[in-house]
Amino acid sequence: MPLLELDGLTRRYGALVALDQVTMRVEEGEVRAIIGPNGAGKTTLFNVITGTVKPTAGLIRFADQAIAGLPSHQICRLGVSRTFQITALFPEMSARENARLAAQACHPRRWQPFGGGRIFKEAQSLADAALEQLGLSGIADRPAGLLSHGDQRLLEVAMAMAQQPRMLLLDEPTQGLSVEETAQAVDTLAQFLQASRMTVLLVEHDMEVVFRLAHRITVLHRGAVIADGSPDQVKADPRVQDAYLGGFA
Amino acid sequence: MRGATRLLIWIVVALALVLAPLGLPPFAMTLLTEAVILGLFAMSLDLMFGYTRLVSFGHAAAYGLGAYACGWMLLHTGMPLLFAVFAAGLLTGLMAIGVGWICTLATGVSFSMLTLAFAQLLSAISFKWTSVTGGSDGLAGIPRTIGPFGFAALSSKTGFYYLALGCLVGGFLVCSALVRSPFGAVLRGIRENEAKTTALGYNTRLYKIAVVAVAYGLGGLAGALYAPFAGFANTELLFWLLSGQVLIMVIVGGAGTLIGPVLGAAFFMLMEHQLSALTEAWALYFGLIFIAFVLFAPQGIWGLATTRLRRATPIARRP
Amino acid sequence: MSTLALLLTQSVSALSQSALLFFLGVGLTLIFGLMRIVNFAHGALYMLGAFVGYSLSSWSGNYWLALAGAPVLVGLFGAAFEFTILRRLYRRDAHAFLMVTFGLALVVGEAVRLTWGSDALQVAAPPLLSGVIFLLDEPFPVYRLFLAATGIVMAVAIWQFLERARLGLLIRATSQNADMASALGVDIKLIRSCVFGIGCGLAALGGVLAAPLVTASNGMAATVIIDAFVIVIIGGMGSFLGSLIGALLIGFVQVFGNYYAPDFALAFMYLVMLAVLVVRPGGLLGKEA
Repeated sequence: MPLLELDGLTRRYGALVALDQVTMRVEEGEVRAIIGPNGAGKTTLFNVITGTVKPTAGLIRFADQAIAGLPSHQICRLGVSRTFQITALFPEMSARENARLAAQACHPRRWQPFGGGRIFKEAQSLADAALEQLGLSGIADRPAGLLSHGDQRLLEVAMAMAQQPRMLLLDEPTQGLSVEETAQAVDTLAQFLQASRMTVLLVEHDMEVVFRLAHRITVLHRGAVIADGSPDQVKADPRVQDAYLGGFA
Repeated sequence: MRGATRLLIWIVVALALVLAPLGLPPFAMTLLTEAVILGLFAMSLDLMFGYTRLVSFGHAAAYGLGAYACGWMLLHTGMPLLFAVFAAGLLTGLMAIGVGWICTLATGVSFSMLTLAFAQLLSAISFKWTSVTGGSDGLAGIPRTIGPFGFAALSSKTGFYYLALGCLVGGFLVCSALVRSPFGAVLRGIRENEAKTTALGYNTRLYKIAVVAVAYGLGGLAGALYAPFAGFANTELLFWLLSGQVLIMVIVGGAGTLIGPVLGAAFFMLMEHQLSALTEAWALYFGLIFIAFVLFAPQGIWGLATTRLRRATPIARRP
Repeated sequence: MSTLALLLTQSVSALSQSALLFFLGVGLTLIFGLMRIVNFAHGALYMLGAFVGYSLSSWSGNYWLALAGAPVLVGLFGAAFEFTILRRLYRRDAHAFLMVTFGLALVVGEAVRLTWGSDALQVAAPPLLSGVIFLLDEPFPVYRLFLAATGIVMAVAIWQFLERARLGLLIRATSQNADMASALGVDIKLIRSCVFGIGCGLAALGGVLAAPLVTASNGMAATVIIDAFVIVIIGGMGSFLGSLIGALLIGFVQVFGNYYAPDFALAFMYLVMLAVLVVRPGGLLGKEA
């Protein structure tokens, strides 16, 4: 049974159709890339899945549970974590503290107004494990605001991982990185994805990153799915080449 | 500053505060008591502003509410001093849940304006509801009722000082525990990046409402101490000028440190009582000093003093 | 008084009140629209305008001189403040601005108290504008009519300025996209000083216009700053049209509220603000606050 099922998912903003009857099935352990030209609806798709935005119509099933319309903090606790296009961290806290706060969010007594020694310890060990997975243990004590761009993007992934998600949504993880930074980040991500067997939805513009990391690709255009398949299939699909004005090499 | 030196300083200060009544003349004790009460008031705002970046322009609402509640209870019921003070603080905290709920409907400047609006509303009510609040005259002749359990010591000048000091220390311990707890960690997350904190799955609004309630509760406790201390409660305690002054105390003292605001309150009182003898324009100079701090030393007095200490402590060990 | 006459009198009163509120609000919203600063000193500058107006009019014996002079003087002061102090804060977070302008409010408030004393000061309206005229057999204070008219004229003037005048266009362009404007050669720093000065000047204009009506007093700043924010929040921070609508709305709520339910007028105004914030957190027409 697929971990994530989208059925006829639609989101309208007045006359604008951001998502148009999107239907998708993602298996556990799969890395699915979502690509498409600007404005295709990729970020809206993420927003709808994580509950930031409510769908106009359609169903979302995650781990056999209907989640469309649930509040975002609840969906987060059901096991869906995401990163954002624009880097969002706690700049004055260290990387370890950033990840710890992320892990704390999933603890049943995260709101405890006194003590908390044990809660912090548990959260910290999850956080440290996540940092390790993303190769960030070396810079763990540095303030997040002072990290390199590449490390910051990876820290965001680590924070998402610290929440022990069942599914990870990565929104342009290499956004804003230079060529070298991208190469390093992708190496780390590839290792991490292979080792963890995490189910991932990946939005990316950089095709090389996509082909390196993804098992399957879904192509969005004007809110609708126009292609869905293995990287080779998608590369060869004429509709995809059309949509991208000039296609791939 | 090593740990041992720090501990020594703490001990000296503690001793000085505890032994003060023995050495200081009565008028100085009055000033000191008022500084302690104001310190508690400023510290309560630090929870909201320093730790959560919730800018409140209406914190006088807490002070005034606590003062009026306590004053009314002491005047019209036989409630002993100790109970009236804490009951008033509790009442203010409970009311603040509603206030917090409303104000957190908005964020940013709108939040701040709502806090101000609420304070103005209370101020208007205090002027109009003459039967309860005494209108523009306020409540006067507030007694320090002893009550059945004795506590006679509390009604004396020295006794009252220890009550206020006890509340300050107690308040400090409560706030300290709070900011070091998991709850406090979330507050800091809200301070640095609220959107991210929400994205991580925290229901940030609830946390904000909770911190508003605690902050107003402690502010109300301070106000409740003021009423029997001064013997009166009037509309000045709800005036926006007071809200502004307490915010200045927090910033000049050092936001986000709990101790800084207490120092800020003491500094403010010093300015008020010493400078006002020298020049009529003391408030003007205070305003200029405030602007200077915001521009050049935003970490405040305590922040400046502890900068050296912070650089020496590795990040991981900081609470 | 017949209902029509009552409505008419109260409406003129409301319009004159709205005019004053408009001058307050439009300055605040212009400053926010361009600089993303909430100028907490706006109320104090309004008050400063009233007092400077008092001095100018008693020194020269001419109200019109005060009407022209006070906004200019306060406007220049505002521009100077932006130039010397606010400029240092553009790289800091938004709270720094709020705090510094708050400090300015305190300093101005105290300076006014020290210079002019704590008593309320009477500013005489010019003979041309005092007295009443009769419409529908009801007396209308000429001064209120003058205020309402001034409000309308200035609203149109400012609107046209923003739409047509070169500086107005530059202001709007820089409000929308400062980087772009700068890349096109606009001197952003100059525009900022100008706008802050104009905003302060407009507030002072409101103050000097209000003086003959309410007398200049120390408490003005406090009451007026809230009004300013309520208007701008209702209308939307940064929206000129919004400040107009907000001013009208609040002017009418205040005047009619005072007439029918004086005890609840204040509460009602805050309820309106609350309602708007809940329904549309950005205000009715605004950009994000």
